[in-house]
Amino acid sequence: MCVTVDIEDSMNVGRSVKRRGVGKVFDPDELYLQFKERLNAVAGECYRIRTAQEAERFLARLLRDKEVKDLVLVESPLTKAGNMIAELESAGIRVHSESLREKAPVVGAGVTELNWAIAELGTMVQIGTDVNQRLASSLPPIHVALIQTSRLLPTLTETLKTLHSLPQIPGFVGLITGPSRTADIERVLTIGVHGPEQFVAIFVDEEAGEED
Amino acid sequence: MANAEFKDKIGQALGNSTLRGALGRFGEFYLTARAKVYEGYDFEVLRDKVAETKAYAASHLDEMLDQFEQAATARGAKVFRANTGDDAKRYIAELALQNGVKGIVKSKSMASEEIHLNEDLIAQGINVQETDLGEWILQLCGQTPSHMVMPALHMTKEQVADVFTDHLGRINDPDIARLVKTARNELRAKFLEADMGISGANAAVAETGTLMLITNEGNARLTSTLPRIHVFLVGIEKLVPRFEDLEYILQTLPRSATAQAITSYVTMVTGPTPVYLPDGTIQDKEMHIVLMDNGRRAMYADEKFKKTFQCIRCASCLNVCPAYQLVGGHVYGHIYTGGIGTILTAFLNAEKFAENPQNLCLQCGKCAEVCPGKLDIPDMLLELRTRFATRKGLPMVQKFALDIVSNRSVFHALLRVAAKAQKPLTKGAPVIRHLPLFLSGLTENRSLPAIAEVAFRETFKKLPQGLEKPKGTIALYAGCLLDFVYPKIGEGVVKTLNDKGYRVVFPEGQSCCGAPATYMGDVKNAKKSAMLNIEALNAETVDYVVSACPTCTHALKDSYKAMLSGDADWEVRAEVLSSKAIDFSKLLQELGGLELGGDGQGLNVTYHDSCHLKRKMGVYKEPRAHLNAIKGLNLIEMKESDRCCGFAGSYSIKFPEISAPILERKLQHIEDSQADVVAVDCPGCLMQIAGGLDQKNSKVKVMHTAEILLNYHSSK
Repeated sequence: MCVTVDIEDSMNVGRSVKRRGVGKVFDPDELYLQFKERLNAVAGECYRIRTAQEAERFLARLLRDKEVKDLVLVESPLTKAGNMIAELESAGIRVHSESLREKAPVVGAGVTELNWAIAELGTMVQIGTDVNQRLASSLPPIHVALIQTSRLLPTLTETLKTLHSLPQIPGFVGLITGPSRTADIERVLTIGVHGPEQFVAIFVDEEAGEED
Repeated sequence: MANAEFKDKIGQALGNSTLRGALGRFGEFYLTARAKVYEGYDFEVLRDKVAETKAYAASHLDEMLDQFEQAATARGAKVFRANTGDDAKRYIAELALQNGVKGIVKSKSMASEEIHLNEDLIAQGINVQETDLGEWILQLCGQTPSHMVMPALHMTKEQVADVFTDHLGRINDPDIARLVKTARNELRAKFLEADMGISGANAAVAETGTLMLITNEGNARLTSTLPRIHVFLVGIEKLVPRFEDLEYILQTLPRSATAQAITSYVTMVTGPTPVYLPDGTIQDKEMHIVLMDNGRRAMYADEKFKKTFQCIRCASCLNVCPAYQLVGGHVYGHIYTGGIGTILTAFLNAEKFAENPQNLCLQCGKCAEVCPGKLDIPDMLLELRTRFATRKGLPMVQKFALDIVSNRSVFHALLRVAAKAQKPLTKGAPVIRHLPLFLSGLTENRSLPAIAEVAFRETFKKLPQGLEKPKGTIALYAGCLLDFVYPKIGEGVVKTLNDKGYRVVFPEGQSCCGAPATYMGDVKNAKKSAMLNIEALNAETVDYVVSACPTCTHALKDSYKAMLSGDADWEVRAEVLSSKAIDFSKLLQELGGLELGGDGQGLNVTYHDSCHLKRKMGVYKEPRAHLNAIKGLNLIEMKESDRCCGFAGSYSIKFPEISAPILERKLQHIEDSQADVVAVDCPGCLMQIAGGLDQKNSKVKVMHTAEILLNYHSSK
């Protein structure tokens, strides 16, 4: 059976939920600060940017500083809001948004938009039914997770409720909290085993994609 | 009793300084880190939820399994129910064969190790690769896990480097970051080539057919992303009813396992997801779920072991176990390690493999205190011990000893003879520093107390109680140590209770509480002691039955009742005794507590919590309140005050080599506190700690709280 992968669909699932409104209204600034503190505590990087355009420029600079030469990118409302691919390419970074099975294992970074962020735990939630979403976020040494600030949820409880309120539980849901880690040798914490060695969360305040 | 081969294994483990170092360091880190990561969360509420959720699923197992199968099948997964490990292996092996599988990557699955799945697949010519770093290291050097969550905890980086060097044919330096990098590169190639992924699951949701995997390394994400076939091997105890129930597992498992608020990755899979095929096309993968029984239903059907279905395999019970921390996982002999591992081994592998390791349990109860699934592991281990003892009988020496102890007149007569006969050994001191011949092991790291010349039961008759109108009557249950070794404690108890206006009586017919028999699995002698004491104490005629030994109090309060339930002749009387039995410290609090007093002389005191008092009776604030009421007394908390002292009744005789280092750690904490006196509420702990301090020529004194109170009263 052949499956057509509609990336925007998987992103929009979340959006409609958000529009329906889950639970009471929380102060996004407070949620963000809580999230950032938790993510930083587990060696994750966390940034908040006002507009999509600024985010593109910020990302290009960040990746250049990290000496990333090429990356895989999964197109989503946030990557399409401005002209992310062009911005990255003009910074000298080669962007692949196709043939991800081939490219993801060899490039320097993966950029994907994730669905929710849990302030309580510093955790990001990924609907990864699309195989490219999974490849780009798990194979390269750096994973940059883009997210709309409005997607912050206060608690794990709220997150599970949100997932359960979808028409069906997505085929793949990943909770990601910082980079890959192990303590299997002498209990010494070492970052970067099978998954990314660096995890970067970028929150974008400006709403991307159509708000109907 | 532990056999010689088992004793050898313990000796080897204790002699392994790498293992001792790693386990010790982790044990120390764990308790503090765990406490911190649960801050802001109510652990009791969370574990109630875990226990309730899992107990519900277990008691509706068939319904849950059907529901899960239906939901998972509706989403496109294939579900197979395996009654035995062999059924599971056959299914997976055939699946691999039919699909021409050449390479398999495995994300950690204890269930697959339980049934030795790898061997079968490798025999079929398939390249099977463990991908969890610890598991991979063990696979390369042909070892079994020593810890359920951190499988290679027992190895040094040098050893790991040697294993890599052997395997890869090039030198690997013992640099952890580089070793991890090497593993990443080596295994990355395997992930990209594999046709099949095999993983376990930490939970399976009946309602939605969802499987949840909790990892830090990211191997479960790759296992569920790259290969075209994914097999989940899932024990039937993993079910939870609803999707939202995952929260309870998620909020407790990482916190209890590794003191993390959440692991780096949590992966929830519901039905097949798309995957790249070798030809570059994208298609839904094949997803198979093997729901495996392999002894689990039998475990559930056994009334005493039902709660094993509430276990979430966090291994926090190992992390706090004083015995595990010394000997590590390999002495347990099988895949599952520690106390819970011994129980699982008994049912999922074979009961005989549990016979030796069950002896390692000190019955200190610390694991039950931290268990997110609310399992009483010590109780289950004791049940196993009892079953072995009942079926096979106890070794002759033990049996003989217990027969004597539970025969009051013979036992007491012997003690009187011993009080006289020990003189050459005590050399006039209150302790015996060295015992001759085969008994010398008993005095190797601690001195033993001399038996009192005059037993408490004799002293008692001469104690002036001087109460004209007593508020009530309290029966004093002494227990052997207080009666024959530490009569001063008894005097302190009587004086204190008199002070509260109560008359104390000493029922003459009382004898050993039966705990030694209980903890050796000798039900017959334990019951004999129970009946004898119920009869003697005649609880119906008094207001309270007090004891200054928490092990005895636990016997009077809980064990007799449990042992005699259903026995029409004794049930009611055991219940009455249970309702009146109370520990001395708690009783004093109930009677209004200690009034502020004392001579005001400065004294630094640290307090050691006895296992039975704190964890069986929840008493730990009371004795501290009494001590704080004494003017001039300065109470200093030692590190790990509620950690077992290593006495544990006959344990210190069965495993002196384990008991001694446990005692050593306690002594260190006592010395570090810089106290002049260590207060205890258990004569057993008193004997153990005093014996250890004496051998070290320490200036610190050990006193029972009741003894300290005796001084308090005399200074009034």
